[in-house]
Amino acid sequence: MEPSWSLHLLSEVLSAFSTENPDNLRQVLNRVAESVDAEVCAIVGNVHIECCIGLADEERRLVLEMAESRPSSLSITGGTLCSCWAPLGAERQLMVGRLDHPFDLEERSLLRAMARSIELSLRMLEAISAERQARRDASNQARHDPLTGLPNRVLVLETLNSWLDRRPGLADKPIAVLFIDVDRFKWVNDAHGHAAGDELLVHVSGILQSAVRRDDLVGRLSGDEFIVITRSSSREGARDLAQRIVNAVRRPLRVAGAELSHSASVGISFAAPHDTASTLIENADMAMYQAKAQGRGRFSVFEPAMREQARERLDLEETLRHAVEQGQIETYLQPVVTIRTRQLLGFEALVRWNHPRRGLLTPVHFIGSAEDSGLIEAIDLAVFQCATEAVARWQRLPGWRHLRISTNISARTLTSADLVQRLQDLINTCGINPAQVYLEITETSFVDDIQATGTTIRGLQQMGLKLAIDDFGTGYSSLLYLKRFPVGLLKIDQSFVADLGIDADDEAIARAIVSLARALGVQAVAEGVETAEQEKRLRRMGCECGQGYLYGRPLPIATVERQWFGGVKALQTRS
Amino acid sequence: MRVMTDHQEDGLTEGRAEPSSWVQVGASSEGDTNSALQDALGQLSLHRAPRLVLVFAAPHHDFGRIAEHLGSALPHSAVVGCSTAGEIASSGALSRSLVLWALGGSGITVCSGWGEAGQQGLRGAAADAAACLNGLQRRQHTVLLLLSDGLAGNQMEVVRGAYDVAHHDVPLVGGCAGDDLAMRRTRQLHGTRVLSNAVVAAAISSDQPLGVGVSHGWTPVSAPMLVTDSHDTRLEKLDDRAALDVYLDFFDPPQEVRDDPSAFAAFAATHPIGIRRRDRIEMRHITGWDAENRALLMVAEVPQGALAFLTQGDLDSVLKAAVTSTQDAIAGLGDCQPVGLLLFDCVSRRSIFGDLGLKEETARITESSGGVPMAGFYTYGEIARSSGSGGFHNQTLVTLAIG
Repeated sequence: MEPSWSLHLLSEVLSAFSTENPDNLRQVLNRVAESVDAEVCAIVGNVHIECCIGLADEERRLVLEMAESRPSSLSITGGTLCSCWAPLGAERQLMVGRLDHPFDLEERSLLRAMARSIELSLRMLEAISAERQARRDASNQARHDPLTGLPNRVLVLETLNSWLDRRPGLADKPIAVLFIDVDRFKWVNDAHGHAAGDELLVHVSGILQSAVRRDDLVGRLSGDEFIVITRSSSREGARDLAQRIVNAVRRPLRVAGAELSHSASVGISFAAPHDTASTLIENADMAMYQAKAQGRGRFSVFEPAMREQARERLDLEETLRHAVEQGQIETYLQPVVTIRTRQLLGFEALVRWNHPRRGLLTPVHFIGSAEDSGLIEAIDLAVFQCATEAVARWQRLPGWRHLRISTNISARTLTSADLVQRLQDLINTCGINPAQVYLEITETSFVDDIQATGTTIRGLQQMGLKLAIDDFGTGYSSLLYLKRFPVGLLKIDQSFVADLGIDADDEAIARAIVSLARALGVQAVAEGVETAEQEKRLRRMGCECGQGYLYGRPLPIATVERQWFGGVKALQTRS
Repeated sequence: MRVMTDHQEDGLTEGRAEPSSWVQVGASSEGDTNSALQDALGQLSLHRAPRLVLVFAAPHHDFGRIAEHLGSALPHSAVVGCSTAGEIASSGALSRSLVLWALGGSGITVCSGWGEAGQQGLRGAAADAAACLNGLQRRQHTVLLLLSDGLAGNQMEVVRGAYDVAHHDVPLVGGCAGDDLAMRRTRQLHGTRVLSNAVVAAAISSDQPLGVGVSHGWTPVSAPMLVTDSHDTRLEKLDDRAALDVYLDFFDPPQEVRDDPSAFAAFAATHPIGIRRRDRIEMRHITGWDAENRALLMVAEVPQGALAFLTQGDLDSVLKAAVTSTQDAIAGLGDCQPVGLLLFDCVSRRSIFGDLGLKEETARITESSGGVPMAGFYTYGEIARSSGSGGFHNQTLVTLAIG
């Protein structure tokens, strides 16, 4: 056998290998068989035949059974199959069979050489395939969210851009982008842990995938932000889809042993000529923000005016962040008195923003932004620190040892994992008696996840702090937590107080709250007391404490100190 | 994609017992398709419905009409066929004609199928068509008949695809559909379906033997040469020299052959390449050249590493091959007498024969077979596999004898 002849023949056999053709092994076997005019060629493994030409299933089984003994001939339909076996690595063999014509020495040498070449090629092919698969996996990972398996921002943008590039039927089937944000997701994450948060995200991704049509795209942009790109026959179709999503997400989910009451807010934007993918997503984001501002768990459609609102909102957030850093957030104190004697009991700490251009701003102007941006936690603690430091100082004055202070803690701050420790540090630093400190929380935030915040509240209880339930009567008014947690004050919302003597229902509610407080052994504090008539009615129904303009406006700490603790005197009525 | 039809039922049963196998042939040179069909069908005296009807028709015929007409005239028969580069009937070689070859008998079963190349290629198409074997009620002897689009690429893939299904114990025979050398489009026909870029097949099983003969009559005139570079249907190098230069240097043809592609094609038709197989030489037709890269363009692959010869033939040797092919096919029947022949004859052989030679070839085939009904066509490539796993040929006569 000429060496060049066999080399070229090997080259012919190996040329059939191709990483692009999944059937390449079969092509190789064809060439091997054709080169020696054989009817059969197979790659035989230990437990199965990987690839075979020329034999029916039954005959393949026979070859497999005989593989270990490597017989030189087999009896099959049509005659005797003269066989040549050559090792193909440690666990495979190349078997070539020719009917009734044995292979000569030269052919056997050639087939063994072919087997070695095929083995090397297979290894190389497997290595290349593995590398290609790894690249495909990497590319897939780069374009998909590992938690939900959904397309990530990169793939969402690519897909949306490609949709926008070919939008001849735009008028008939508008492209709509739905921006979906899970409401209060950070709260879920903080309160229940990241595993529960992840479970919720996977749950939402499943809802989105089952809500859309096959041609729509569902993606996860980041955190709790999802996107749906759809092309429906009308704008109404996109609205219907958004409503279906809102409804489906709202259904309770049991996570980490607790039932989550969650919701999603959805913003919709429709593609206009010349819109880019980024613009569409931005617009949908702004609409989503509007849905949140309107009360969460709903959808909103983008309108150009939202862009200006969004800009203002961003400006406000940025300015507020600067204000917190620069100390423009100030603590004001409003007196709380015994209604019967008008004797000063203590203060409620209130926050004000001393804006350099707009003047003194009340919370209504910036608390929403503070909550969205997460700045609320810093603000709550700053107010707590200033108020407790001042009251601790005054408690050391003769006759004011029982002066109390209540400060507001937002729902978001209440879920902060290290809240207890930070409050403990502040109390230790200023030396205030914790029994005289009340944390005002709204009953809504309290009840939203009583189990999740329970640990924090029990920690506060151990410190000796008490809770004041703010705006009592406006929320769920569950009585359960009044019993289970260290509630020391029920604050009657000023809306009921304002209607005393005007609305019999409101007066009945105020009276019920006072009775409830008395039954539970806690104090009732009426908020927003502004007139003597209101004071008289409150006194009659047995309400012990009050705060409002009738007793004193909120004032800076320095002013309070000067007015009330520069020389203690009887509190005068201000009408 | 495939359709399988089991043609066991006889719609034209008469009282007397049907022979185990029979073949009838009808042919017409009427130019109009309807007239040609009526003429050819009229020549068949069908007391029983055939199991299989093969139709070989010149490319000018309306294949849709052929399919429709045969479908209604022979509703109980499998109908398979293709366009040609010339037809053969019992009366001899024809052109611009339509030929019907009808096979029937109590000992015959037939299933047919088809597959389109499309994305899966010819191998997949052939495997789809060959899958009709799975529905065949097997008798003692079986053969798979294949008709493929001769312009659809490497025809070795047709053999490989069919072999994937047929395995070693079912011989393959057939030919590549032609279009009278226009080289534009061929047609394949299966039932009422007219296809291109496809393979149609008929699996035939018989109680009586079926014999296959293969012969070409070309003689090596060069020393054996190693195929040192070859890709698919491009033969780049022989003995490390540009294949076109080797070819032209050896034969030293007139200048016209070196300059004019048509003259080269005509010359190459009578000077094909032979490939050494273990016990035979397999022919490859040269379709043209790549003047820039000095390569020869072939109708099917010439495997690298193979030993190749430059060959030539003359009228006498090629005529003798026709007799050999016929005799080999009949010899394959053993003691059984043939009832009919099916012929797949390479279109290039016509170049050798001329008009007189064509008549002589069919006359010798008729003489060798005892005048049994025969039909076939001039092909763009022939298929015959009864040993080994390959079996694509050029410039060859493949004969199927029905016992």
